[in-house]
Amino acid sequence: MESILKITNLAKRYNGGTLALTDINLEVKKGEFIAVIGPSGAGKSTLLRCINRLIEPTEGSIEFLNQRIEKASKNDLRKIRSKMGMIFQHYNLIYRSSVLENVLHGRLGYMSSVAGVFNRYQEADKREAIMLLEKVGLEAEIYKRADELSGGQKQRVGVCRALAQNPELILADEPIASLDPKSSAVVMDAIYKNCKEQGIACLVNLHQVDVAKRYATRIVAVKAGTIIFDGPAGELTDDMIKYLYEGKEQEMFEQAN
Amino acid sequence: MSKSQMPIPETLLMKESMLTKKKIPIAHKQTKRQQQYFFTTVGILFIVCLLQIDISFSQFQEGVARIPSVLSMMLQMSFTEFPGLASEMVVSLVTAFLSLVLSIVFAVVLAFLAARNTTPNRHIGMLLRFLFMIIRAIPATVWVLIAVASIGFGTMAGVLGLIFPTCSYLVKSFSAQIEEVGQETIEALQSVGATWWHIVFRGLIPTLLTSFLAITAFRFEMNVAESVILGMVGAGGIGLLIQGYISFYEFSSLSLGILMVFITMFLLEFMTTQIRRRMSN
Repeated sequence: MESILKITNLAKRYNGGTLALTDINLEVKKGEFIAVIGPSGAGKSTLLRCINRLIEPTEGSIEFLNQRIEKASKNDLRKIRSKMGMIFQHYNLIYRSSVLENVLHGRLGYMSSVAGVFNRYQEADKREAIMLLEKVGLEAEIYKRADELSGGQKQRVGVCRALAQNPELILADEPIASLDPKSSAVVMDAIYKNCKEQGIACLVNLHQVDVAKRYATRIVAVKAGTIIFDGPAGELTDDMIKYLYEGKEQEMFEQAN
Repeated sequence: MSKSQMPIPETLLMKESMLTKKKIPIAHKQTKRQQQYFFTTVGILFIVCLLQIDISFSQFQEGVARIPSVLSMMLQMSFTEFPGLASEMVVSLVTAFLSLVLSIVFAVVLAFLAARNTTPNRHIGMLLRFLFMIIRAIPATVWVLIAVASIGFGTMAGVLGLIFPTCSYLVKSFSAQIEEVGQETIEALQSVGATWWHIVFRGLIPTLLTSFLAITAFRFEMNVAESVILGMVGAGGIGLLIQGYISFYEFSSLSLGILMVFITMFLLEFMTTQIRRRMSN
């Protein structure tokens, strides 16, 4: 399988001097479903945000579809980002806009400023967006305002927005951390099914090791800003998990409940 | 193990306090000290300020004695000037409204350029914030006086003079809103590869529109109050008439003018409160 993302020697130091990531090396192949696990504060979120440069990496290189992300100009970055969907923990929807508009925002990366400002979305894009919403079971919610939805529904809109980009890679930053178990399953299923169907690679930050094991073909464990495990889900031993959450057992306990 | 250790320091403290008969302190020391400093400073400043003004007891006494007669003169309200006052009140409202609308046009654009998280260039943002800080530091009265001095007496000077403080107030309030609630929205649209214009028009404006309107409604109220007063320095409107009545001791017309200003402000406040309440839902 061809590789679509290649991270070499990535490091991130925040202004305050905190070293969030050190020497991260990671390769993602087309269609892979990778879970990134680790205790809170380990740098999972920073890693994901460095990939689409919502956070500027300090050192190292990130190659996406044969393009160097960290060196990309403003315009190139926009093009790169349009091929990379992101799903946020707090959904980050435009709550005053309709559900359909929120999904269509996924198309903005392919549109000019003027076309975007005046809402000139293609009819084909609109049909596609409605289809995506039907697929995740939100056909009755299309014209509701985004703030009228429940948490699980909001996140499904977030998933649709990412899918509407027609991406090669989806970055999901704790997509189910604010959801109850039932909604979590619905959202994870929606992400997983669509990625598999369309051959989209996916990097999911997760708190829940059991969820990670259930979905991911590959697990990357991050502790204190470095990768301590990278391999198939089956190879992640209990000892490894124990070491990963050392000193943060409370988080493990919370997950179990 | 912690169970056996915990009570020891408590009992020690209790014994010590019983021996010395001291009260056990409960306050956060630093906070308490800060409060003490604050109240002492205010107290000292108050005394210093009292010494600064000439306190003349006789003047005070005479003034108090005059209050009943002034009040009785003001209670004789005359409605002969009503048409003139009403039309000038409208002029004041028009001045306030025009300057507000023109300011909104400038402020919406400038707020996005000035807000820390949306400014396209850090230096431009800083420059704009600094510029508006200076404009805000100069009172509206001074701006209107400058306008009157440069284009002459009248409503146009009032509108022009009010634009500066209104615009800088709106830029400040709008950009504070953008900085406070914008980050999630910005990240969401950045991640799909949106341009600056997309982020502003498809993300931030829909999200912030209601709070922008609430701020604007409040500012309209302030602008009317300003334009009433600014009439007195030559910007036209009801303030000019009131100023005249004061100068010529026409108390009966003056009290009508004041009553009209009061009623207008009261109605406006009622309206803007209603608007803001509806917006927040």
